[in-house]
Amino acid sequence: MLAAIWQGPVIRLIPVGMILLALQRSLFVEITVAGVIVQVVLALAAAAGAAGGSERGATTGFVLGIMYDLVEGLPVGSTAIPMTIAGIVAGSLAIIVADPQWWLGMIFTTLGAAVGEVMVPVTRLFTGAADPFEPRLTLIVPVVAIAAGILSPLFIPLARWCLRIKRSEWVAPPRDAEI
Amino acid sequence: MAIYSVGRRRVIVALLLTLVLLLTLDLRGNVVIERFRDGFATAMSPVESATDVVTTPAARTWNGVTRYDDLERENQALQDELDRLIGTQASYRLAVEEAAELKALLSLQALAGIPTEVAKVVGASSNNLDQVIEIDKGSLSGFKVGMPVVNQAGLIGKITDVTLNTSKVMLITDSRYAVPVRVQGAPEADLGPPDTRPSGRTNDELEDLVTTTLVTDVLATESSLPQNEAAPTPGQDGDADADDVPVGATPENPDAVDDPDALDPAVPADPDDPLAGSPTTDVTTTTTEPIVTTTAVVPDLPAKEFGALEGRGRGLIPQIRFLQDNPSLAVLQEGDLVVTAGGFDSLAPPDIPIGVVINRADRSGPGGPLLDVQPYADVTRLNFVRVVKYTPLSEVEQE
Repeated sequence: MLAAIWQGPVIRLIPVGMILLALQRSLFVEITVAGVIVQVVLALAAAAGAAGGSERGATTGFVLGIMYDLVEGLPVGSTAIPMTIAGIVAGSLAIIVADPQWWLGMIFTTLGAAVGEVMVPVTRLFTGAADPFEPRLTLIVPVVAIAAGILSPLFIPLARWCLRIKRSEWVAPPRDAEI
Repeated sequence: MAIYSVGRRRVIVALLLTLVLLLTLDLRGNVVIERFRDGFATAMSPVESATDVVTTPAARTWNGVTRYDDLERENQALQDELDRLIGTQASYRLAVEEAAELKALLSLQALAGIPTEVAKVVGASSNNLDQVIEIDKGSLSGFKVGMPVVNQAGLIGKITDVTLNTSKVMLITDSRYAVPVRVQGAPEADLGPPDTRPSGRTNDELEDLVTTTLVTDVLATESSLPQNEAAPTPGQDGDADADDVPVGATPENPDAVDDPDALDPAVPADPDDPLAGSPTTDVTTTTTEPIVTTTAVVPDLPAKEFGALEGRGRGLIPQIRFLQDNPSLAVLQEGDLVVTAGGFDSLAPPDIPIGVVINRADRSGPGGPLLDVQPYADVTRLNFVRVVKYTPLSEVEQE
């Protein structure tokens, strides 16, 4: 069992998530785009989905989201649910292609981050927030999504490393193989 | 290709259901989750400290590139405001002392006698919806959930989460924030709300600063917040309001206001009290900058109406709802002052200044008017805050 945990994704994901969380709470609070805070943790969850499919994306979103909620003092799950959904949505890329090009991964990371960011106020609505849909949401969602897309060339390889995902190796059929 | 096999679908569904379960447990209050949260916060602390050290130069560079003009404009405005305050403060010192004596005689309820503690702002919310800051003291300092938090300008929020060494403070601009307030008429000389955000001023407004008398000229000579816990001031222990001591003046040295250094925010009035005008270090930039606060006091003015002040989110000023015009007393209008109402269940004591009404919007039906309130405190620039260890009367009785 210990070996399974050691070889599982959590061992690498937690320290990486802690560093990203610290960056999110220090550097990215200062560096805003049009007053919007770029969500790097959400971007990693979406990138993990684009890299490894819905299941791995959901797992990454689950772990990172719970860490985010714990450190931010939010109800546990209020951000984890959106991040999990972001990973699932970005992971739908695997339906289209098994080994996507970088630009395809970027598009699906953007899409997953956008859905995840939209889900944040939706989740708040279920937890009793009076009016979580701020007018700025129309600005927040595109900025967060595009930033996640821009970060995806960096985050997709990072997610692959965290989740121990190996690239597909295509082997040419033997020359004398009968078709 | 078994991308969505039954097993994988089960994993996703199980994860989502687990999250819903955790959310439900946490919303209902769960000791295990709270302990886990404290433990994780402790584990994150060294990581965050290290990251902060590493990323500070990058953040400074970014701020230097993107906010240089704002800083220059703000510096100019602060200089103008400082000159203006030096000129006006001495004139009003006498009136302040008289007011302090009168308040002491009347035993008006305010922050006097309520213990307070200064804390440093160490972080802000990292998401785009919440208006929450983190301060560097927690339950070890006696902080509890619900305690009001103020700075020299007035109310800025309340504590919503407490760990051993940190606390989360929900700002008055957060859309989940609400506090009972009292609206009262402004003095006739009131020409508008004090602007604690000089960086937002235009050049014309900066020029006007020199010649225009704002409400702060009338009210700014005293702070309604306790200034010094270590050295008793007139006001603590009920003999007079600590708030009634002019900025920079102490009982031992009441003439301090005549000393330009005493009025200079760069010169600390009390090294133990960062809110008393000492140089402050920004959490992320560590550049010394004076606290941009406009001290104010609530004059004894007739209450017009009671209502609930609610935050509306980042970039939007709070509003007061649940109001009814009462023509027999007074009509709610721009320039009216807003203070906490206090009361049996209120988490905040009465008479903490909040802001000034800057707009009134009438609604059809029985809803009454909506009042836009410009807070005195600039919640976007907080370095040091003071937590008022106030327990609501309802909880005092239970204890």
